[in-house]
Formats: sequence, structure tokens, C-alpha cells
Amino acid sequence: MSLLQQEREIILSNEHVDNFDFAEVEDFIRNADKNLFISHHFKNKTKMLVQPRGGFPTYKKQFALSEFFVEANVDVLPLTIDSNTRLNDYATAKKMLRLSEENDVDMLNGYPLVTHGYRTTRKMVTHFNKPVSLRHGTPDARLLIETALASGIFDIEGGPITYLLPYSKNFPLDKAFLYWKYVEKICANYSKLNEPINRESFGALTATLVPPAITIVIQLLEMMLSLEEGVKSFSVSFSQTGSMNQDIVMGAVIKKLSRKYADAINCSDAVINLVYHQWMGAFPTNKDYAEQLINMSTVIAAMVGADKIITKTREEASGIPTKEANAKTVANTQYTLRILNGLPNIVDEEEEEILTLEVRAIMEAVLNDSADTLWRKVFNSIKSGIIDVPFSPHIINHNEMITIRDAKKNIRIIKRGNVPIPDRCFEYERGQCDLTKDTTSMVNDIIHDIGIMQ
Amino acid sequence: MKVVIGVVGNDIHVVANRLIELSLGARGFEVFNLGVNTYLEEFFDAAVETNADVLLISSLNGEAEGWSREVKLLRSKYKTLDKLVMVIGGNLVVGTASAEEIVPKYKKYGFDLVFHQVDLNTGLDALEVYLGERKIS
Repeated sequence: MSLLQQEREIILSNEHVDNFDFAEVEDFIRNADKNLFISHHFKNKTKMLVQPRGGFPTYKKQFALSEFFVEANVDVLPLTIDSNTRLNDYATAKKMLRLSEENDVDMLNGYPLVTHGYRTTRKMVTHFNKPVSLRHGTPDARLLIETALASGIFDIEGGPITYLLPYSKNFPLDKAFLYWKYVEKICANYSKLNEPINRESFGALTATLVPPAITIVIQLLEMMLSLEEGVKSFSVSFSQTGSMNQDIVMGAVIKKLSRKYADAINCSDAVINLVYHQWMGAFPTNKDYAEQLINMSTVIAAMVGADKIITKTREEASGIPTKEANAKTVANTQYTLRILNGLPNIVDEEEEEILTLEVRAIMEAVLNDSADTLWRKVFNSIKSGIIDVPFSPHIINHNEMITIRDAKKNIRIIKRGNVPIPDRCFEYERGQCDLTKDTTSMVNDIIHDIGIMQ
Repeated sequence: MKVVIGVVGNDIHVVANRLIELSLGARGFEVFNLGVNTYLEEFFDAAVETNADVLLISSLNGEAEGWSREVKLLRSKYKTLDKLVMVIGGNLVVGTASAEEIVPKYKKYGFDLVFHQVDLNTGLDALEVYLGERKIS
């Protein structure tokens, strides 16, 4: 028996798993309907795919939410996982699920997939026969992803960097790399049986003034980590920055570079897609304004040329949205996409060149690290601050880089820390900003720049 | 002047914490940032370790109240913290309550300065005034 299979048997044999039948699961995936695979839809799509977010604790409510989405003409269904399951606390998830079922009150902020198990969840997934995207935030997602794949969920979000640096203070980063390596291997192996399993990185990161160069570098690295294990379908992603031009530039650069870096590691046969997140920062409490913001995000996603858009709702500022509000965004977004025709082609060569130089310089520094494997190079680079994510709560992150918005609301790097931003680019970035202010007014500007959409 | 800062309890809201670090630095303080998700013991340990003048605890999700009840008891176990100025700020209640209700409560818990939903720079101005007055007296 291979080492991987031995590890799988350990992961899948415990009191939270009801007899995982490896052979049956393999058969199910081999014969699964193509419509369950988002990679199949990407291949044949004629429009941007629309996917909301959403997860409720009970099967009944999750089923009802999915019904609403299907009525609203959804392209990809979401399954958002609760916070206990994300932290591998299955006992608490189980207790809270029981309380939710008995009292008709939601005691979890998502669907406890491991607790429901794959036999139950698969019934829902195959009933709707739409691709389902798994949304979580789990550093050790081995059991969760095994359960998801066995349930017919073939779009798996996350990664060792993007699910750790924004979400955790001290989960060990080296462990996250190894746990996600397992996930990539499982996805790669199942991809040989039918259409490929799609992996998606979470480019929104902290959604707080993250400069495009950092986002793109992390997207490229998580893509490479995934492809080198044999994954054949991968989505890079980013979220609305606050400047339409910066979004368009970022879209152009990430598309070009993701292809280049995939080809450079001999993965020309892998399909790379682009996912765009509607505004991920603080939302206006005025629900009508929130709808305007969502609509604007859709227009920008179209300008960026995204393959999939992930939506927000008018209730974003007030908590977990109702199924009605959530389905409404899906219908509205589909409408906007339908009437949005004859888009102009905008290219900003200067900005593209600057961003490309920045990304290449950081990537070169990461890949030149003396470690023997890619994940160790990336680990060392985060540790040494070559990669630095603004507003990450994690202790390993350097927090030396400082970013603000320029007059056109582009995110600019005004302090680079250890990130090897080339001098020419750094001067260009700083040149766009008013740097004569003292730190106190700068901090006030940053507070304003974070709350730009409120 | 040395300041230890951090967000108390299982609170992961990091944005304001980073801004407090930047602002205090700009005002000439030497800042030791423990970051989010910090427990009371860690705050006091750090204050001893750094020989801090000020301990500035913040909270956004409001769980500070639960923790603050133990401040006096815990502080009394440390021998070298008599001169430590204790500050707490942020959103100091789960749900809603006015500053008139909250400030006296936290002063009773052992804080010298309490800022409930006060603008960052207003709060830091008040801290500097307080430290100035203390020096004179």
C-alpha cells in the first residue's frame, strides 16, 4: 500500500467518519455526471459563471437555499463550511448541528460537511446536478476534502497560503503546506477518472489594501504547488481593488503570467481560469447602496474578463444573508451580465509593465531560494518577508509593507519592507501618492482607504 | 516610553491593531505588538518582559468584558507592575451600550483609561495628556 493510501486510511478512520468506502467513492466519481464538474462548464461556457456564497447548518436549510439558487438561475452552487469544522473541531460541530436541528435556530455559521457525511450530502449534490464549490478556510482540510469529493463536490477552494495568512494567528505554516499537498494529490488522482477536479485559490486574502503584486505572486505560487502534484484545472482569483483600472490591469497580468508559469513547469496541459470576487471589504449598511456596489462589481468583472464571479448580497454589512437576499443577487447578476454587451477593450501598458516587473522580481526571489522543494522555498520567503501580506494576523507574516490609495484609488506600495520591489517600480508607485503627510494623517488616510465603499 | 498592545481573547480583527501600532510608533512610543488572539496572561507577561510603561488592550468583537473581570486578580499576582498604565479601547460590549455605562464599569475592572468607540487619534491624544499629567504629579 502506498504511503498516501496509508495516510488516507488514518485520516478517514475515526469516530467522525461513517465507514469510508474507498472503492465505492472511486466508482461514484468515475461515473459522475459531467454537469457536476465545474471544469466541464469552464470548457463549454458561453458566459461568465455566477456563484454565490452560502452555508446553513441543517441539511433541510441547505437544500432550501440551493433550491432558491437554482430558481434564480445559478451556474455554480456554493457550500460554505462552519467555523468549527474549519478548525477540525468535529465534536463541537456535531453538538451545534444537533442543537440547530432540535431548536430550529442556526447554531453554526455554515454547513458541517464532515458531520453530515458524504452519503447524505451526495444526495443533495446529485439532486441539483449543478457544480458545487467548497468554501471554507481550513489549514488542515484533509478529511473535509475527502468528504467533499466523495459527496460530488468537484470545485475545491483554498490553499496553504491563502487559507492561513488571512485566517489564523499561529497555525504552523509548514504543516499547512504538507496538509494541502495531500489535498492536491487526492484531487489529482481523482482527476484521472472523469473530468478534472478544479482547485481554486483564494486571492482576496485579507481584502484590506493588498497590493496586486502580492496577490498575483501568491496566486502563481499556489497554482504551481497544485499543478506540480498533478492537478489539471486551476482557478486563480482576486477581489475588487477599488480602482477599475487596477482591476483590469491585474486581470491582464494574472492571465498572462499564470499561463507562463504553468508552461514553465511543464504543465501546458493544465487549464487555468480566472475568478473575480465582488468587493470583499467593508460593505455599506444601506442595502440599496450595497446592491449598487454589487452591480458595479459585476460590470468590472466583465471588463476584467473573469470566467467566474463570486457574489455578495445586500445584507453583507449585517451578517449571514437570508436565502431570499442571496438568490436575489444571483438573479440580478445574471441580468446585468445578459445586458452588458459591447464592452470596450482597455489596455494600460505602463501599469501592466510595472506590475509585471514587480511580480517577476518577487517570483525570482522566491524561486532562487536555496531550499530543495517549492513549498520550502515559499515557506522561507514568507518567513523572511519576501512575501508580505498587509493586515495578515499571522505571526509569521512580516507586516513591514505599507500600502495606501492614490488619488485614483489605486492601491500603492509606499513602504516595501523585505519585498524585492524593483527600484524603478517602487519610485513609480510612490510617485503616484502624496507622501508629504505626517504619519498621523497617513493613518487617517489608511482608515479612510479601507472603508472606501461605505 | 514602552507600550505593549494587542487584541484580547479569541478576537481575530487585525486591522485596527496594525493601525494602533503605526500611530503609536509615529508618536514616538516603542511598541511591542502581541497581535490578535492574545490572552490576559500573555499581556502581563509581555509587560514584565519589556518593562513596559503602558499596556493597551483592544477589542472589537466585545468579548473584552468577559476577560476584564479577571484583570485585577491577575495583575495582583505580578510584583513589578505597580506603575503600569492600563488602557482599554475599541468596541467594549457585545450588542450595544453607551459610554456612560461602560466606562465606569471598566475603571472598576482596573483600567486607567477606557475608550469605547472612540476615534483612534482622539484616544491616543488623551493617552498622551494622561501620561504628561502623571509625570508632573
